Amino acid sequence: MTDISTRSAGGGAAGAALSLKKLAPAVFLAPAVLLLAVYLIYPLIDSFRLSLLDWNGLGANARFVGLDNWKKLATDALFWEAAWNNILLAVFSVLIQMPIALILAVVLDNAGKGSRILKILYFLPLLMSSVALGVLFKYFYDVNFGPLNALLDYVGLGSLAQDWLGDTRFALGAVIAVVCWQFIPFYMVLFMAGLASFPAEISEAAKLDGASETTIFWKMKLPHLKGTLRTAIVLSVIGALRYFDLIYVMTGGGPEGASELMATYMYRNVFSSFQLGYGSTVASAMFIIVILIASVLLRFSKRYETEV
Amino acid sequence: MSSNFVRKISALACGAAMAAVVPFAAQAADKVITEWDLQTTAGAVKVIRGAADRFEAANPGYKVEDTHILNDAYKTKIKIAFGANEPPCVFSSWGGGPLREYVKAGQVVDLTPYLDSDPAFKDRFLPASFGASTIDGKIYALPAENTAIAVVFYNKELFAKYNVTPPTTWDELLKVIDVFKENGIAPFALANKNKWTGSMFYGYLVDRIGGPEAFANAVQRKDGGSFADPVFVEAGKRLQELVNAGAFQKGYNGLDYDVGGSRRLLYTDKAAMELMGTWEASTIGNENPEFAKKLGFFQFPSVPDGKGDPNNLLGTLGDNYISVSNACPEKDKAVELLKFLTDDTAAAGRLADNRIMPLKDVKTDNPFLTEVYSLVAKAPSVQLWWDQELPPELGELHKDTSQALFGLSKTPEQVAEEFEAAAKAKLQ
Repeated sequence: MTDISTRSAGGGAAGAALSLKKLAPAVFLAPAVLLLAVYLIYPLIDSFRLSLLDWNGLGANARFVGLDNWKKLATDALFWEAAWNNILLAVFSVLIQMPIALILAVVLDNAGKGSRILKILYFLPLLMSSVALGVLFKYFYDVNFGPLNALLDYVGLGSLAQDWLGDTRFALGAVIAVVCWQFIPFYMVLFMAGLASFPAEISEAAKLDGASETTIFWKMKLPHLKGTLRTAIVLSVIGALRYFDLIYVMTGGGPEGASELMATYMYRNVFSSFQLGYGSTVASAMFIIVILIASVLLRFSKRYETEV
Repeated sequence: MSSNFVRKISALACGAAMAAVVPFAAQAADKVITEWDLQTTAGAVKVIRGAADRFEAANPGYKVEDTHILNDAYKTKIKIAFGANEPPCVFSSWGGGPLREYVKAGQVVDLTPYLDSDPAFKDRFLPASFGASTIDGKIYALPAENTAIAVVFYNKELFAKYNVTPPTTWDELLKVIDVFKENGIAPFALANKNKWTGSMFYGYLVDRIGGPEAFANAVQRKDGGSFADPVFVEAGKRLQELVNAGAFQKGYNGLDYDVGGSRRLLYTDKAAMELMGTWEASTIGNENPEFAKKLGFFQFPSVPDGKGDPNNLLGTLGDNYISVSNACPEKDKAVELLKFLTDDTAAAGRLADNRIMPLKDVKTDNPFLTEVYSLVAKAPSVQLWWDQELPPELGELHKDTSQALFGLSKTPEQVAEEFEAAAKAKLQ
């Protein structure tokens, strides 16, 4: 506006260009902002509002109950068990996925052109739909007909054969293994990108100075990957805290809640128990927990921040 | 205004993602009646489309858009559709708890006046079949599709091989279990990841021990009915007695019924029996026609000193029930469509597809259906599946606690108390 009012003869074109410059970002941002507002910010705020209601989600029969749902949540053993399972999933995701992904990335990075087929093979799990994967592994783990138990039997370890998905002791672990299998390729690609950006001349110089491959990895490449690792860990933890799909398909949170996660518990409350209010409370609590853990994680890993 | 806009946008997106039926329906020149159901087999769809064709022929200018959705996906979709106030005109349910939620929210058309004005149509149905869809004396849904009751299916060949006969009492059942166990065969196949599968055992035990009143009184909170009653504790004990006797195959709490976890055990002679709804017979007939020839069934056995009549059944007389939503712009026509969907032509079509509607006068030469029908006809009581009868919140809790009983991680007393506490809070 000011551009228009203050423009003088000859300066008009420049003024219009300037206002266009200011307008352009807004125009380009508008679709994204609108979508975010409709699909992220509004539902987020609204789910907090819904968490104050006792409502089955149908028609105008909602009842305002204040913080009752939150009080119930605080003492809901099932919810806290689910939250604990989320934390287990996060911890094991990081502990299992990061080292394996890193090893694969380093091996593939060193293997050169011959590794193209391996790269594609290792990447495949990530391309499969979670639901298909879940059904596939349900057969794999099947206690009576599954290949896993059959294999254990065959190699004489029949005593280790278990009811993988039906036993409260193993259900969560069995699904975590599949989650890792699915996501290791993602972090592998991330690390490979990081390694690719490591300047070749540096490692050549190091080699001339007599450094072994091991030394180069531990003293030079790994420090170079710090930032990537940090990103990977944060992504992995956040992903684990909001995890839903494979658990839903493979165990439905069972048996007896042994593999229940916050997200599956929320789903059950809203869609099976018709408790939209309480389900929203679970969703909101989940949001708070994820934000808290993610910000703590980001803060404590700040010194590893890099441009990657 | 903005929230209204947002709601419209999300309703539109929901609809598009769900079936693309609702938003586009309005563009057609004909008046459209939307219909959603969870019948996905070719035979069932043919009957429904046939009824829709006859309706369209009788009502020029109207068009029926029928959508057939898989079971679990349907349960989620229909709830979202009602929540967004964009339900289909005609929808399916099992009556009981979930239907009651929709009725309480004022979303379902009361069919009583329509039925009262056409007694000839109404009187064709077995009176008991309206039980699950009658709420406060008003009928909200018509029983369609099928009659499904839980019976014990068994492998006749295995029973003959080990020289056992279908048990009628608890002690006989335990003996049969012993025989199969000794021979390395799981007595029962059970896929209890789904939980409603194991719930059938608990439901039958409560009925056999305390009669149908035990559950009915506890749900309706009358005549001192309570889920902490000794009947429920004893049912839990009997159930765990079965578990401890090794009545179920390894891994029963993790197998998935929807992908055939339990049937595969039957097919491979690794299990001898399965307690399941009678739809199982047609499922097996489709999956494994060879095995279907070996299939027999018997009723759940009696329990010593039990009050329940062993002829009592657990199941549903209308699998499913169909209703009309209040949001439908053409309610009268939608009710007319309901009638086409449940008339004699539709009933005959279903009979040809091995499914039996809960009508008074059914003639069939299919021996399986004849037997099912005669069981229903002589049953003093047919209790709807617990997970459908109970309000949804309690239905979920019941499924969870019965799975815990099977897993031996909770005692029958704990389960009875936990359930009674929740029932007290929810049912008053």
